[in-house]
Order: sequence, then C-alpha cells, then structure tokens
Amino acid sequence: MLLYIFRRILIMIPTLLLTSALVFTIMELPPGDYFESYMAELQAQGEGVDKARIEFLKKEYGFDKSPVERYFIWLGGLLQGDLGYSFEYQMPVSELVGSRIFLTVLVSFATILLTWLIAFPIGIYSATHQYSWGDYGLTFLGLMGIAVPNFLLALILMYFANVWFGTSIGHLMAPEYLGQPMSWAKFKSILEHMWIPVIVIGLAGTASMIRKIRANLLDELQKQYTITAKAKGLHPFKALVKYPLRSSLNFFVGGIGGILPEIVSGAEIVAIVLSLETTGPLLIKALQSQDMYLAGSFLMFLALLTVIGVLISDIALAFLDPRIRLQGRSTR
Amino acid sequence: MTNAIDRRRFNCILLSAPALGVAGYLPASARDFIEPPYLKDQIEAKRLPPLQERIPVKPRVIDLERMGRKPGRYGGQIRMLMGDPKDVRMVVVYGYARLVGYDENLNLVPDILENFEVEDGRIFTLRIRPGHRWSDGHPFTAEDFRYFWEDIANNEKLSLTGPPAEMLVDGKPPVFEVLDECTVRYTWPAPNPAFIPALAGALPLYIYAPSHYLKQFHVKYAHPAELELKVTSARVRDWTSLHERMGRMYRPQNPDLPCLDAWCLSTAPPSTRFVFKRNPYFHRIDTEGRQLPYADEIILNIGSSALVAAQTATGEADLQARYIRFDDYTFLKSAEKRGGFNVELWGRGEGSRMALLPNLNAEDPVWRKLWRDVRVRRALSLAIDRREINQAIFYGLGRESANTMLPQSPLHRLEYQTAWTRFDLDQANKLLDEAGLAKRDWDGIRYLPDGRRAELVVETAGESTEQADVLALIRDNWLKIGIKIYTRPTQRDLFRKRVYAGSVVMSVWSGLDNALATPDMSPHELAPTGQAQLQWPKWGQHYEEKGAVGEPPDLPEVRRLLELYLAWRQSRSTAERAVIWHEMLKIHADQVFTIGTVNGTRQPVVVSKRLVNVPEEGIWAFDPGGYFGRYLPDTFWFRDTAE
Repeated sequence: MLLYIFRRILIMIPTLLLTSALVFTIMELPPGDYFESYMAELQAQGEGVDKARIEFLKKEYGFDKSPVERYFIWLGGLLQGDLGYSFEYQMPVSELVGSRIFLTVLVSFATILLTWLIAFPIGIYSATHQYSWGDYGLTFLGLMGIAVPNFLLALILMYFANVWFGTSIGHLMAPEYLGQPMSWAKFKSILEHMWIPVIVIGLAGTASMIRKIRANLLDELQKQYTITAKAKGLHPFKALVKYPLRSSLNFFVGGIGGILPEIVSGAEIVAIVLSLETTGPLLIKALQSQDMYLAGSFLMFLALLTVIGVLISDIALAFLDPRIRLQGRSTR
Repeated sequence: MTNAIDRRRFNCILLSAPALGVAGYLPASARDFIEPPYLKDQIEAKRLPPLQERIPVKPRVIDLERMGRKPGRYGGQIRMLMGDPKDVRMVVVYGYARLVGYDENLNLVPDILENFEVEDGRIFTLRIRPGHRWSDGHPFTAEDFRYFWEDIANNEKLSLTGPPAEMLVDGKPPVFEVLDECTVRYTWPAPNPAFIPALAGALPLYIYAPSHYLKQFHVKYAHPAELELKVTSARVRDWTSLHERMGRMYRPQNPDLPCLDAWCLSTAPPSTRFVFKRNPYFHRIDTEGRQLPYADEIILNIGSSALVAAQTATGEADLQARYIRFDDYTFLKSAEKRGGFNVELWGRGEGSRMALLPNLNAEDPVWRKLWRDVRVRRALSLAIDRREINQAIFYGLGRESANTMLPQSPLHRLEYQTAWTRFDLDQANKLLDEAGLAKRDWDGIRYLPDGRRAELVVETAGESTEQADVLALIRDNWLKIGIKIYTRPTQRDLFRKRVYAGSVVMSVWSGLDNALATPDMSPHELAPTGQAQLQWPKWGQHYEEKGAVGEPPDLPEVRRLLELYLAWRQSRSTAERAVIWHEMLKIHADQVFTIGTVNGTRQPVVVSKRLVNVPEEGIWAFDPGGYFGRYLPDTFWFRDTAE
C-alpha cells in the first residue's frame, strides 16, 4: 500500500508539469496580451491611455521576453511557492486569492453539506419507492433543478430577497461590512446573504446527486444478496442501509476527489451574478482580461488540488471497499 | 520643522503680494472659517492645525451662488457602485483636482495652481498657491515639480521612454527652472500648445509628485539597506517597481501616498469596498468659510458591472452614471420612489454615438480604392436615415449629426453637423453610379469593378445590442442603393487586431471621443495620429511610430489634416488654433472619413434625493472635464446631514 501511494505521488509530478505547460499554452493562444486588452478597454470607454506607464509595466512583467522564457520564469516561481503577480490588481496572486479563500471555503462547504443533506434522503426514497408518485414528483423537481439555469435562479432569488427581506443586492454581506475585520454583526450579515448562493449552487448539484444515488442504489437493491437478506427476514432498515447503500456509495467516495478543487473555486458564474467575494469571479475575470499569472497560478492550484483529491479518494476506496485489490494491477 | 514651513510661506507671500485682492478672495484673517465636524477630534487632539492654517493663503474660492447653486453643509458619504477594482481611478477623475482645469463653460482656470502665464506659446510659468499642503500636511512646493522632472521623468529606469510626449517639442525637452519655492518655469525652444490642456486632462499629465514621501523609495535618496528591505517586504522586483507602485496618483493603491485631491484613498487593496476620506488640506473653499469637499467620504462598492443598474434601483448609490445605460432608464425611473433618487438625463459627449468607419487601409484592393473615392463615402452617408435611427432607437432624444463637434463646443457649426446627413437615396444612387458602380445584379445589388457583388461585412466589437439594432436599420436603406451589408460581432481585442491588419473593410465604433473641444484642445483625433483610429489605422500607426511601421497617408486631404495638426502643435495663439480647427473640421465634414449617425444621446444619471447641487443637465464625457469633475462633486452636499 505504501509503495502504491509513493508511486502515485511520483506520477503526480509529470502530470502537473504537463498541466502547467498546457495551461500556459492555452493562455498564450488568444491574440494580444493583458496590456493590449487593457488599452482597448480604456479606449472603449473613451478614456485616455498612459502609454509610458504601459511600457513600464510591460517591461516589469517581462513581456519583452519570449513566451518560452516567461513560461520557465513562471514555473520557477511556482516551484518556490511564488504564484506571481496579478497585472489587473497589481498585487501578488497569493495575497489576492488568500483574501478571498475563507469566504469561498465557507460557501462551498455549506453548499456541499446542503447537497448531501437533501440528496441522500431523497435519493434513497426514490430508489426504494421506484416508479411511485413520490419518485416521479421528486425526480421532476430534481430535473427542474438541473434544467433551470443557475444564474437565472440567482437573479430571481436576489430580487425577492431584496423586496421581501430587504437584503442588499449582491455580495456576501451588507456593504458596510465589506473590508471590515470579522465581527459578530458581520458574521450575521454573511449568514443572511449566504443562503441564496448556497441554495442556487446547491440545487443543481443536489439534483444530479439524487439521480446518482437512485441509480446506484437501484442496482444494488436488485442483487441477489439483498433479496436473500430480505427473504431471511433482516430488519428492513439494515437490509437497506447496512449493505446495499454502503456498496452503492463507491461513486460517492470516488467523487470526493472532485470536491477538493470545487471547495476552493466555487461556482464561478453564480458568484459573478451575485458579486460574491469568492475566488470564482477572480478566476473568470483574470481569464477574460488575460491576467496570465493570476489565471495560470490559480488554475495550477486547482490542478494540484484535483490530483491530491483523486489520490485521496483512491486511497479511501481501497480502504473502504474490500473488493478493490491493488495487487490485481500486475497481472493485468 | 514649523519654522522652515513658515519661512517658506513667508517667501511665497512676499512674491505673490501684488496679486492680492483678486476677485473672490478675502484675507484669511477677516473671515470665520467653519471646521468640518468630521475632523473635530483630530483638531481638538492637536493632530491637525485649524482650517485657516490648513488651506493655502489664497485658496480657490468657489462662488456657488454665482454658479446658480447653493452653499452647503458638511457631512455624509457619497456611495457609488463600480464594476472593477481598477475603477478606483474614478474618484481621481470625478474629483478633478488638476493644476489647471476646465470649468462648466470649458474655460481653462487655475485650480491647484494659483495662476500660470504663457509667453510666446513656449515659456510656461506656473505659480503654486503659497501655503498649499499635501494631504499629510507637508508643504506642496517647487521641489515636488523638480523631483518629478529630474528624478522621475528624466530617470531612465523610471521613465523608460523618457519624459512624457506632451513635454517634448520635436523630441526636445524643456528647460526646467525653479524660480522660487512657489514658482516653476518650463521653457521650450518652440511653442507647446499641448502642455496646458494635458495638465487639465481627465487623465492628467502629472508633472509633480509628493517628493517628501517618495524619496524613501528612490535609489538616489534612500538608504540602500532600508530600500532593499522595503523591496523585499513588498515582494517586488526592484526599487523602480516599488516607486511606481507607491507613487501612483491616477489609479491610487497606496493609502499612505499624500494627495492633493478632494478625497484621498484610505483602503488598501485588495478590497471590494474602497473608502476615500476628505483631504483636510484641500485647497478649495466656499464663500461661507467652509472647506470643500462638503461630503466627508466617497465609498466605492465594487461588484459586477452587470448588477449596477439593479443595485442602483434599490437605492444603494447616491450618485451613479457609470455602468448605467440608456436602456436602463425606464427601469430606474420606475424605481425612483422606492430607491429615493431622481434620474436625470445628461447628454453624452461623443461626436457620434455610433459611427461607421470605412477602413481606408483595407487589404481588399477593390474596397480600398472605393473607400478612397469621396463620392462613395458621401453616398453611404446620404443613404442613412438618421431620423429613423433617432426615433426608433433613441426615442428622438438624440441629435441627427455627422461625426463632429456638439453644439456646446465653441467650434460647432451647423454646416459641419448637417454635411451629407440628409436622407437622399436618389443622390446617393447617382453618386455611386458616377463612381463606376452603375452595373447591378438582378436583385439590385451593384457589381464592384472586379465583378463581385457589392456585399461587405461590417464588424463590431460585439459589445452592445444597440449597435446591432442601428445596423439593421442602416442595412435596409443601403439595400436601396445596391449595397448589402452583413453584421459580424467579434470580440474586442480580435476586432481591433483585424482592423489594424486591414482584414476588416468597415467597422463600427463610437465617434470622436472629445466632441466638446475648444481651439486650445489638441485636434489629434481629426488627423491620422494613432493606430486606434479605425478608419485609417496604418496611417495613424505611421505617425505614432515615427515612420517605422505603417504607411504614410497618400490622400491629399488626409495629408493636409496631418499638416494642420502639426501646425497646431506649433501654434502660438488661440485665434490661430481656431483657424486650424475649423479647417480640419471642414475637411472632415466635406470628406466624410467617418460616417456619423446620431450624437448627444442620453446618459442616465442617478442622483439621491438627499444630494444637492448636482446639475440636472450636463454632458457625460471623460474628456474634457472627467465626467462629473467639471461640475465639481466636492460641492455636492447632503441636505440631511447632522451639521
């Protein structure tokens, strides 16, 4: 087992290197660079451009060098833990992301918890009461959750929250708390605002989670051992939760790997619509304005979390499910 | 320390003594100044001197009653919504504290400066207000100008391309002299009419810097070991980056940087809420003895630009025009009561809300040749029904016009506005027939000289549906003169690249950025002086890059425009400049290099019902005057403040 983990960690190195090259290449592909799009943006608003300052910035950020050189400078920085500099914000990327990470994790964590809390009971109910009215009704609701665009739901909820409860539009807290140190009042304000993004982001995830639980559980429920257990008079709860549910959860444990990057990045589009102080809008904005190092370092961070997440879920699977054997690998 | 300051003040007072008693100025001792309650604690704790000592000996007195406004009271926060952290610059733009600035009637008036003199168009003597101080209380003197000129503009590490372009005449820099603590002089060998307008720009030419603060980041003045430490702790590459970052005045990010603006940044980025606090040393006062600004703080809430209209409707902004479009007007109007604001409609400042730009440098040789034929350009302009566009898209609130000056500009003439703008399909058809496009296909579409059908793609930056709507109207009328257009929206960067390369035959953009010009403002937009001029990108690039790339203009009229622009750069008097401007405007009106549609369209401005002194009518333009800047937002005040 230890050897396996060790080998997996070694494989992560070339994977990440390849990812970094890919990320950088894709970001270099669009025409122009940050400074050109910045100038174009100013001109689009009929504003002046200070050319001398742009020259200065270009040189400072090494835009007089070739892309290959810049790639290696960036990579070298990453290896030393330096995420580089954001052009747009003129700050180190780490400070920028760091200032938003707490709220992002809070929102994502609440969302994931909500997803599980809703999806599990409903998924189990749907599977055990297949083709009943309840199943159809909940499935319909779930499909609605997938079908309604998130951003639309966000706008609608935001409007009604404002009209009914007077919650200020956008942001994760009332404007007067923005940029203030954490306090009880601020925390309350965050809670007051947080339910909208949590519901909106959670809803789509909940719907697909319900479908997955239902499908996997149905597979198990039709297997011989379940029928035998029921026939032998095992308590219905035990015959459901202890065996079939447990073995239907492989997909769930496997999915934990994907959760790690999700917690950090949040749902980007919804976050933009709601003007949340999370990392999602930061990433999208950076990609739009070709703020290379911010976007690149952030994507690399996500890649790293994904790789680690997958490793964790593989290990967890190996521990939890005795049917999975590592030794099988060599005979393949 | 105090002694030194007093002596300096004394010197300047002596020198400026003959100027005493100018209109609106009363000796400081004779009046009762009213302290802002916001600063009461600091004054009582002796951390701030009393108002009389904070303002210059001769502050700029704003006579509100003469402007038709009401003198106000201190207090309150003006909240604004922004869509981008880079928008912090808007407070510097709106605040519009400049060495010299434009007033409501587009006159150049000294603002930070007490006065300035221009001799022979080439010798500029600038006099600082004696006793003027930075927001940290340190005197603002000639040393701050010297520091900029010698240690920033002429430091090859800080200014890679040398001194700013507006400070070079034929590539030659001025001779800079410090005449005394409060007077500096710039002398060029030839006239430099661009200098003073540049100081008044919404994006100003900064020729001063807070030297007492910035010296700690300058390799020439700082202790090497301390500087090294600062560079490492700020995690920047070297001292130049540090100096640039700490000293940036236009888009401020350093709350410690002393400023001369009405409100100074107090929030360190990154943040989604920026607070700008009143500058206790600001140099403007009203006639009742109150220091401006009236409002204590400006608060910028940064969110998504798409949400600004919705947020404004709930009353989350006290003064908002940025990110609000004309389409939002009805929605905002219906929310007036709930949100507690009024929506005013200001005019927009472009020469044309949307202009069609035939690319005179198009790669396609046939179209290029056609565009260079003035008859074709005129025909296209005649075949646009501007009235229909105005009525259908802008509810008749715009003005049907060529791409030229607005009536509010002293350079406006009706003949420029109406040149080739009446809707006349017959004459348009006749002009096109004469231009060698007489042969038509079965469906009425003309044949180009090389046998292709006269079909062309009009590219847009794809940013507004308004453009697509206007183009749809134009398309129908152009079909009647046998020219078929297809609209293709692309993405802004790509769009520009394609126009620059000549791949785009015709593009769409807004008209002249500054359509409120006076003769003293630079006419560079009318001549090929930049690649960003989409009707002749290669000619513009040729001038911009000093002939290294691009193509020299080969149309005699365009060459004449360039000559005229260069003549303006050499001009000595306003009268001379007016003559040049009019000849350029006339060439544009006659030659139709850009096809204007409608200008003076409306910009909704949302103003809180509590906010007094915001004009009901105004012009929303970056240049001249920095959007609200010309209307002095420091004189806006809240009617329900505690004072």
